[in-house]
Amino acid sequence: MKKKLDQYQKMLMVIIIIYSVFVALKNPQFLKVQTVFDIIKTSSTTMIVAFGLLVVMISGGIDVSFMAIALFGSYTSLYTMIKTGINNLAFAFALSAFIGVCLGLINALLINWLKLPPFIITLGTQNLFHGIMTTFISDKSFGSGVLPTCLHQFGQGTLFKIYTGNGSAGLTVSLIPVLLAGILTYLILYKTMLGRGIVAIGNNEESARRAGFNPFIIRLFVYGYSGALAGMMGIVYAAQVNALYPNKMVGDELMIVAAVVIGGTKITGGQGKIFGSVLGVLIIYLLNSTLILIGLSSSWNNLFVGAILVIAVAVTSYQERVKNRNHLIFTE
Amino acid sequence: MDPILCASHICKSFIGVRALNNIDITINAGEIHCLVGENGCGKSTFVKCISGVYEPDEGSIEINGRVYQSLTPVEAMKNGIQVIYQDLSLFQHMTVAENIAISKLKFEGNRIIDWKQVKSIAKEQLDKIGVQMDLDKTVGETSMANRQMVAICRALAQDAKILFMDEPTTALTKTEVGHLMKIMLELKKQGLAIVFISHKLDEVFTVADKITIFRNGNKIGDFESKDLNEKSLSYYMTGREIEYQRYHRVCKDNDPILEIDNLTRTGQYENVSMSVRPGDIIGLTGLLGSGRTELAMSLFGLNPPKSGVIKVEGRVTDISSPMAAKKCGIALLPEDRFNQGLFIERKIKENISSALINSICKKGIVNKKKENEIAHKYVDELKVRTPSVDTVVGTLSGGNQQKVVIGKWIATKPKVFIMDTPTVGIDVGSKSEIYEQIHKFADSGMAIIFISDEIQEIMANCNRVFILRNGQCVKKLEEEDLGQNGAEKMIADLISSRVPEVSAEEAAQ
Repeated sequence: MKKKLDQYQKMLMVIIIIYSVFVALKNPQFLKVQTVFDIIKTSSTTMIVAFGLLVVMISGGIDVSFMAIALFGSYTSLYTMIKTGINNLAFAFALSAFIGVCLGLINALLINWLKLPPFIITLGTQNLFHGIMTTFISDKSFGSGVLPTCLHQFGQGTLFKIYTGNGSAGLTVSLIPVLLAGILTYLILYKTMLGRGIVAIGNNEESARRAGFNPFIIRLFVYGYSGALAGMMGIVYAAQVNALYPNKMVGDELMIVAAVVIGGTKITGGQGKIFGSVLGVLIIYLLNSTLILIGLSSSWNNLFVGAILVIAVAVTSYQERVKNRNHLIFTE
Repeated sequence: MDPILCASHICKSFIGVRALNNIDITINAGEIHCLVGENGCGKSTFVKCISGVYEPDEGSIEINGRVYQSLTPVEAMKNGIQVIYQDLSLFQHMTVAENIAISKLKFEGNRIIDWKQVKSIAKEQLDKIGVQMDLDKTVGETSMANRQMVAICRALAQDAKILFMDEPTTALTKTEVGHLMKIMLELKKQGLAIVFISHKLDEVFTVADKITIFRNGNKIGDFESKDLNEKSLSYYMTGREIEYQRYHRVCKDNDPILEIDNLTRTGQYENVSMSVRPGDIIGLTGLLGSGRTELAMSLFGLNPPKSGVIKVEGRVTDISSPMAAKKCGIALLPEDRFNQGLFIERKIKENISSALINSICKKGIVNKKKENEIAHKYVDELKVRTPSVDTVVGTLSGGNQQKVVIGKWIATKPKVFIMDTPTVGIDVGSKSEIYEQIHKFADSGMAIIFISDEIQEIMANCNRVFILRNGQCVKKLEEEDLGQNGAEKMIADLISSRVPEVSAEEAAQ
């Protein structure tokens, strides 16, 4: 296993640094601790699901239903808490993650049973899960007054505060679930046979089977894991916005797919790095929150994200072609 | 020599077709045992029965003193049977070390990965075969030859007693083949049994102790390597002395249709010149990687040459794309028929009309009647055996599929038809039908460039032969040269200059 950063990650870092310097020169506001902490806070939810998606994509699959799972999990568990009066953060996380696992397993079972491309299945379940929730559970919005208070405390909580001239800036506690998810994903991918099996089936399912792996079990785990992280992310998100809407989150999936792909993950599976995904998410949120600082309207956001995505994929594909040419494989 | 595996009376049928008929084979430790035979003779089926992929219908397999009716893949591996398939089954994006160690660790039931152990396993196995490799490189970054080594090491790591190698040399260069053979001999010395499947007879004779010949699912016999020579071996393999009708050019028109002058693409082929007349069947022969396919692709606009001139009917032409090639009347039958030659899930008629779709379209709408007419015409002419022109191409046999590809191009009435290994994976019957057709095309004034490394085929079909080696044209043979005695042997020698002796190979390393 390589410890050092690869060429591609270095390139992403350079992009981030150059862009940050540029923004800072245009508008010194950017250098404020508050701005940095804000970016960390808003990107934290995305990071959590990005790790789940990364694992799915390494296994050669794709999941576009995770935002629907996040919404389903968080909405259902918070709705239950409002109705029953339970006010316990751990309960919220546990229930939401549990629902996430169940929905993720449904994805895996459908993919395995119907032998259809994961993209189609999860596109279907995305709508299915969302529809089931709004039809059979509830489609009411809940404002901050009704939500359990533990949620509000978590959303506003800070790890530490830094006092500056005009007020204070705090680093969000949402960073803790992000770090936990990141470390857990790392341990699974690099330290367990299961993790190597995930990478193996992403490389070549038939070879993985010959090496003694069971693709079905691996797939169950992968989609279940993605579902669990999505469920947890839903709670973090609800806590941050301090409200519960039945139509949020769903629709943002592809932005996160973009972030993970920008991070160097192969859409065909078998390869992907945790730190790369972190960088991918950072790039997107950096653009998201700094365009206004340099005087561009937020409509430029999509343009930049799109451009970076295309360039990132082009660079990896070019590197691949050069490699293939060296081995006498002509793909053009 | 102790027998470690005895297979007796193995039979296997697929939907009524007998793939294996009463096969008895004994494999001894410390011996290299070659299985030879034509395509589809049952050698691969046999390997799959032993390794547990298929369950034999009858017969038994005795290994390590136990008799099995059939083995599961896991049982086979536990008994030390390891198969290296042609595709090698490696993980491209994982490191060399991990590829070698992972199967062993997985079968030992490890749940946690210890990367130090992974490396030490990999190192130990690589030392066994005396190869040095960067353990941290991914397999995708290593050469074909090194991937072969990784696959061997992976098998050794799992304590292999019998190593089956299914055509391991097809994608290797000559030097690499020499090196591989050296490793095989080394492993044999260490007491491993190796079952080597190859259709390259020179390689078989270099390493084999024992040769078992298959034909149509039957075992013809076991032979000591020294009791056979190439001639007797190919006689046993095919069951006949194949003599195809020799081609003689009858066309009177001597103005060249296609001339190439000093065509070069560095690293692939260099300074190739040839002049092609109507009615010529030009044999272009050489090993994989000799530049033959690369040159063919250049003539069809897929692999632009760096320098040199291509003239079509006397005019200098820049063939920059397959469209341009088609306009010049050049057609290419690709080596990989499945991916590059056919729309495998579409009907015969759609395949046949695909190259001239523009001419049967009116304002963008396909004239279905014309499409049917054309399809019928070429299905009849080329004797494609099919119930109808609406049959999906993928359901036809290899030979009939190839006839569809040929029909597709003949329908465009090309002046020059480049055929890259047109008979690969095709049964003997279809083969001679295809030869017959090719002769007919040439008689009617078409020029054909026929790429093949089967010498018999080249001798039967071509009136001129160009031999490529490492991108250089090393010899041109005219019709009168080909008529000489010993021309066949000369071509064979020129193509490969034989597998180098193992000791010479060692010196080169």
